[in-house]
Amino acid sequence: MLKISDLHARVDDKEILKGINLEVKAGEVHAIMGPNGSGKSTLAAVIAGKEEFEVTKGSVSLDGENLEDSAPEERAHKGIFLSFQYPVEIPGVSVTNFMKTAINESRKARGLEDMPANKMLKLIREKSELLEIDRKFLSRSLNEGFSGGEKKRNEIFQMAMLEPKLAILDETDSGLDIDALRIVANGVNKLKSKDNAVIVITHYQRLLEYIVPDFVHVIHDGKIVKSGGKELALELEEKGYDWLKQETVV
Amino acid sequence: MDLKDKLVSSFLAFEDKVDVHNPVHDIRSEAMKTFEAKGFPSKKEEAWKYTSLNTLQKIDFSIFPKEENALEYNDVKKYFLHEIDSYKIVFIDGIYSSYLSETTHDGVDICLMSAALTKPMYKQVIDVYFNKIASKDDSLTSLNTAFSREGAYIYIPKNKMPKKPVEILHLATGNEAALMLQPRSLVIVEENAELQVIERHQSITGNEVLTNSVTEIFAAKNAIVDYYKVQNDADTASLIDNTYINQKDKSVVNVHTFSFGGKLTRNNLNFYQNGEYVDSTMKGVTIIGEKQHVDHHTLVHHIEPNCESHQDYKGIYGENATGVFNGKIIVDKIAQKTNAFQQNNNILVSDKATINTKPQLEIFADDVKCSHGCTIGQLDEDALFYLQSRGIPKKEARALLMYAFANNVLASVRIPELKVRINKLIAKKLGVNLGFDL
Amino acid sequence: MAYTEEELKKELETKEYEYGFYTAIESDTFPKGLNEGIVRAISKKKNEPQWMTDWRLEAFRIWEKMEEPDWANVHYEKPDFQAISYYSAPKKDPNRSLDDVDPELLAMYKKLGISVDEQKKLQNVAVDIVVDSVSVATTFKKTLGEKGIIFMPISEAIQEHPELVKKYMGTVVPKTDNFYAALNSAVFTDGSFCYIPKGVRCPMELSTYFRINEGGTGQFERTLVIADESSYVSYLEGCTAPSRDENQLHAAVVELIALDNAEIKYSTVQNWYPGNKEGKGGVYNFVTKRGLCENNSKISWTQVETGSAVTWKYPSCILKGNNSVGEFYSIAVTNNFQQADTGTKMIHLGKNTKSTIISKGISAGKSQNSYRGLVQIGSRAENARNFSQCDSLLMGNECGAHTFPYIEVKNKTAQIEHEATTSKIGEDQIFYCNQRGINTEKAIALIVNGFSKEVLNKLPMEFAVEAQKLLEISLEGSVG
Repeated sequence: MLKISDLHARVDDKEILKGINLEVKAGEVHAIMGPNGSGKSTLAAVIAGKEEFEVTKGSVSLDGENLEDSAPEERAHKGIFLSFQYPVEIPGVSVTNFMKTAINESRKARGLEDMPANKMLKLIREKSELLEIDRKFLSRSLNEGFSGGEKKRNEIFQMAMLEPKLAILDETDSGLDIDALRIVANGVNKLKSKDNAVIVITHYQRLLEYIVPDFVHVIHDGKIVKSGGKELALELEEKGYDWLKQETVV
Repeated sequence: MDLKDKLVSSFLAFEDKVDVHNPVHDIRSEAMKTFEAKGFPSKKEEAWKYTSLNTLQKIDFSIFPKEENALEYNDVKKYFLHEIDSYKIVFIDGIYSSYLSETTHDGVDICLMSAALTKPMYKQVIDVYFNKIASKDDSLTSLNTAFSREGAYIYIPKNKMPKKPVEILHLATGNEAALMLQPRSLVIVEENAELQVIERHQSITGNEVLTNSVTEIFAAKNAIVDYYKVQNDADTASLIDNTYINQKDKSVVNVHTFSFGGKLTRNNLNFYQNGEYVDSTMKGVTIIGEKQHVDHHTLVHHIEPNCESHQDYKGIYGENATGVFNGKIIVDKIAQKTNAFQQNNNILVSDKATINTKPQLEIFADDVKCSHGCTIGQLDEDALFYLQSRGIPKKEARALLMYAFANNVLASVRIPELKVRINKLIAKKLGVNLGFDL
Repeated sequence: MAYTEEELKKELETKEYEYGFYTAIESDTFPKGLNEGIVRAISKKKNEPQWMTDWRLEAFRIWEKMEEPDWANVHYEKPDFQAISYYSAPKKDPNRSLDDVDPELLAMYKKLGISVDEQKKLQNVAVDIVVDSVSVATTFKKTLGEKGIIFMPISEAIQEHPELVKKYMGTVVPKTDNFYAALNSAVFTDGSFCYIPKGVRCPMELSTYFRINEGGTGQFERTLVIADESSYVSYLEGCTAPSRDENQLHAAVVELIALDNAEIKYSTVQNWYPGNKEGKGGVYNFVTKRGLCENNSKISWTQVETGSAVTWKYPSCILKGNNSVGEFYSIAVTNNFQQADTGTKMIHLGKNTKSTIISKGISAGKSQNSYRGLVQIGSRAENARNFSQCDSLLMGNECGAHTFPYIEVKNKTAQIEHEATTSKIGEDQIFYCNQRGINTEKAIALIVNGFSKEVLNKLPMEFAVEAQKLLEISLEGSVG
């Protein structure tokens, strides 16, 4: 589904990604781990098409189609969803209105009519229950004054609404207490199917106890330095990242 | 003869006493023309909408004081921050008092404007800095420029920091029935240099004094300047303070203005951020009563990108007092990433007190964070009740809350002894007996 | 007036000022210029009683001695008051029955989107339409009449209800108030008059639609709304003009009087022609709007200002009565070369008076947008409260946003809070929307809508939709 080949990217004059190779197939869950500043979040942003980052070499393709010239919203229409590490506040725009706009824009891109209001309401009700979200919450301004946990839950709610092909969860576990973590993970697991894929970006092993990955990759200094099964995450938890850093130096 | 005519005709007499061939004198003559054309500002002008100089203009001020008015140190000691050692530049009725002063030329110049304006060794600096940032359009600044002769001159070269703070004290003896003073000061702090100044105007008797002061401050790259204005003058003394500050890259300038006394006080505080990553802070505490009038006009002109400015002015107005706050922030088109904040909080404690406030933003750049907030209100009733429930009588509780309201501006005062002094002044003004030193 | 996404899209594509059509109606237009004779002629044309003629002449003499103000933060070439025609009317005698109305006019209403007979059927809105100088049609007059509500062109009110007009006109905005108010008092040609009797809640929204059609003319309408004791009325006002290269002058006066316990809600969607992309043409909108509140009454101004080349407008409240309430909710959008200097004055005179000011300024292109406001607490206004919030949103780096709030307090029991912020639409906000599949244009519309929401929510439903649409159109093409 997703194929990343020799991806190099930089911001301003600083090269952050230095040759990433990764393939994600439908039905798979991949975890990307690594120390702070290793390039994890940059990778997520580059896949989503953030213009701040310049791809200098290599490619990202989805279902065989090179995404190079696709705007972020076009990538979204194609089914890429990024759960932000720091969700952005948009004052005065309610969660519901925002979702309505997002869904209808995606439908428009696929040549579909706007979703009828009753269907929309039903969908919202269904998905908000899945994430244990209070209905009042949906009429609040997007992310404005939300707690860390509410923001993350709201991200997964949006994911549930948009039903993406590929979901990238960027540090979704940060700022979550154990209950919220369970709800979020539960939501992700319910949304998982053989047709979609999930990339979980995280610093800690904690989230991976709930969202069990098929593959674990470790990024260091803009490269994937080690890949393995879910047991790699445990090893990392135990030993920290330093042994890997040394390994790369050697 | 009204005051304007008197000043204009006095200029001829003034010229008798100064070297008219000095290039500075061309600047004076030019400024005189501006003042002559514009005269004193009237309430019709937007900047003077709330402050009238009419009654002051009716007073028959002496333009030139009697020479040599001596004062004993013990009589004026209390006006110095005597708890600490400091350089002192002292003027009595506008004339330098070597007896009360302590100047220096040891690596830094902390001395007199009259010397700087006349001696060849200072010529280069005067050419570059004198009257360069002060307004050439403003009538009162021009008036001061026209009569500029005496004041403080401070030059701190690169990487230097004077051993101790500088106190500039302008004393008025009251030997004239009414006296007009026009001190002119120049402060230059070069790269990586640092300076602390405490400035005060003080009238010893109850005779009328009108001071029209101009200070130019230049802060070069990485310079740090702390400037404290203590305004606690007699109730017959009026002050128009015009301060112009030019800041270069990464410089930090903090100006604190403590206005407790005087009849009419007008502070025109102007910051020009002519460099990147500049930090400007202006803070003020105003506590006045009777028929006192204090008017703060601040201007921060963000000319370059990535700069910050912080303003926090607090005022408590009692009896028939009038307060004015006009804070203008201009952000130029290229001054992206500017952060400009302004706060003005006021409490009226009398039925006859008035506050006029006008926080003003003029923004021409889009990637900026600018905000201003302003409140006029009373003390928090819940807090008052809380204090009362702990046994503090209402009157004291009120005073204590006002004290707390005003006092939090002092956190940024970096001379501890001065902070204590101001603390005590605030407490005294509000009738609070703290029973402890802060 | 629900409109579909598709319609909006079409409108976004056209980009041009959509109300910029000119309707070829035969009109009766005065020669250009202003003197006593013209003032008399206007009065005569309107068949006015002597007191009205005298009133106008007095205003004219006051105006002659006044100078055009220049304190506002706007720069424009001062209009030549002798190059304007002060009277222009569609030639066929304005008919009261819709069936007799000039078919060209009816076609124009359709274009305006306020097709009169359709409105009659679909919506509970009574409309008075003023084209150039003359009121051309007032609907629902009969329904309203049953409740004792008077809603008619002011020219008719002068004839039919002289006692009311005489009693109230000029009491809130005196002839001497300012240059444009004096000019308006001398030459106003029409406008709306509305009187709600004691204890009556007006059952429908009252609406006036203003249209400048003829070139070389100025529009000087005058609106007078009187809400008698314990009554309520919601009043809407909309404005459009053809696209012309010249600058057209619009100098209106609106006076509101809310007697004890009455409430007036006055909403404006101002969409005069703003000039073209190069800043040529457009309406000069110099308007004086003010309301007087007696005891326990309330006046609420809501405005969405998207049009005009230059706007100078400060809908104000004089809170004379105890416990009276004044509100001002404003969205002002400027794009291209537009300039707006707008805000409000809240004059607190009575005890326990309250005012709220919410102002949202959005500047784009090369425009300049200023908020100017005054909150004044008189010495006898015990327990006055004011809350003001002025937010500016800048789009692009060639526009300006300015805030000039004046706060004057003479009473120690006052509580005033004023806040202002300036911000821009964040790159991260746009990317966030993009990532959810929303394109940049739509994302901006969404964010601007959110920014303006507090004010949009104050508009009556019929207007809110139109206002949102206007916001999007006005900002079209403002972000690259």
